[in-house]
Amino acid sequence: MEEFSPQFVIAGMVFDIPTMATTLVSAVLVLVIIMLATSNMTDGVPKGMQNFLEWLIDFVRGIAGNFMDSKTASKYVTLALTLFLYIFIANQIGLLSTFTAVSHNPAPGIGITDEVLAEHHGEVHVKLWNSPTANPNVTFTLAIAVLLYSHYLGLKKGAGDYFKHYFQPSPFLFPLHLIEELSKFLTLPLRLFGNIFAGEVLAAFLAVGVWQIKIATSVPMFVWLGYSVFVGTIQAYIFTTLTLVYISQKVADSH
Amino acid sequence: MDFAIALGLMFGLAAVGAGIGNGLVVSRTIEGTARQPEARGSLMGLMFLGLGLVEALPIIAVAIGFILFGRLG
Repeated sequence: MEEFSPQFVIAGMVFDIPTMATTLVSAVLVLVIIMLATSNMTDGVPKGMQNFLEWLIDFVRGIAGNFMDSKTASKYVTLALTLFLYIFIANQIGLLSTFTAVSHNPAPGIGITDEVLAEHHGEVHVKLWNSPTANPNVTFTLAIAVLLYSHYLGLKKGAGDYFKHYFQPSPFLFPLHLIEELSKFLTLPLRLFGNIFAGEVLAAFLAVGVWQIKIATSVPMFVWLGYSVFVGTIQAYIFTTLTLVYISQKVADSH
Repeated sequence: MDFAIALGLMFGLAAVGAGIGNGLVVSRTIEGTARQPEARGSLMGLMFLGLGLVEALPIIAVAIGFILFGRLG
């Protein structure tokens, strides 16, 4: 049961409609949460949403403090907080539904052409809602942006130091340093993508169908949804921690 | 038929790798907590980080397995 994502193609680039919609929804949700938390802020003892946000900032600052001294850590707390909130909400959003629609006729506007119909034997299951991070493009974009930023910070700190670092313990380790840098570009996004994508595929398998709307009506589905909430949180935490680790590797004074 | 065996091997080996790796990480955490119960909080935080890192490659194998299953199945 292969599901098809409605998409349109402009100049050879495929735009995936549910992913674009849920990316926007996640960003708006993060904005709403922060705005709710910072309305009517008090200087005294915080209550409610402001309390939660202050706890979150302390948590992220604690993670940063594990790898850098507190003065440099405070420069990157905003980035880490944004990453953590966005990835956390993006991971959870896909669990809201496993709605699919079934289409028997071609609809070229969203990419269901005659070839696609023939491939799926006349009955195309159209996916209507998924996590943005279940799309590899989104996770690769996040990872590339963050890793290029860390390289830029390393270069800004001192180009000589940055290049000398590659030959540091001994010049023979230069290929290993290169491989380490390249593998960072691959493992960081693929880890997030693999976790969330596998979770969603399994959720689609376990969903029990009523007419054309598949909702969670079986016990394994509830168990899997609970586990997916946990995995989404852990993956957001890991992405944030690894971002801070990679930045600290380039920016740290002692190595 | 070959695809079935290949996909079964992919998922099975990923499960073995994840199981052994996770087992090692958690067992060291339990050992560390037994030696020093005050360190339980920070050890748990490190444990979750370790679990996520160790499970990265098996999960990538599972995701590729699902993609192949959809395409070839």
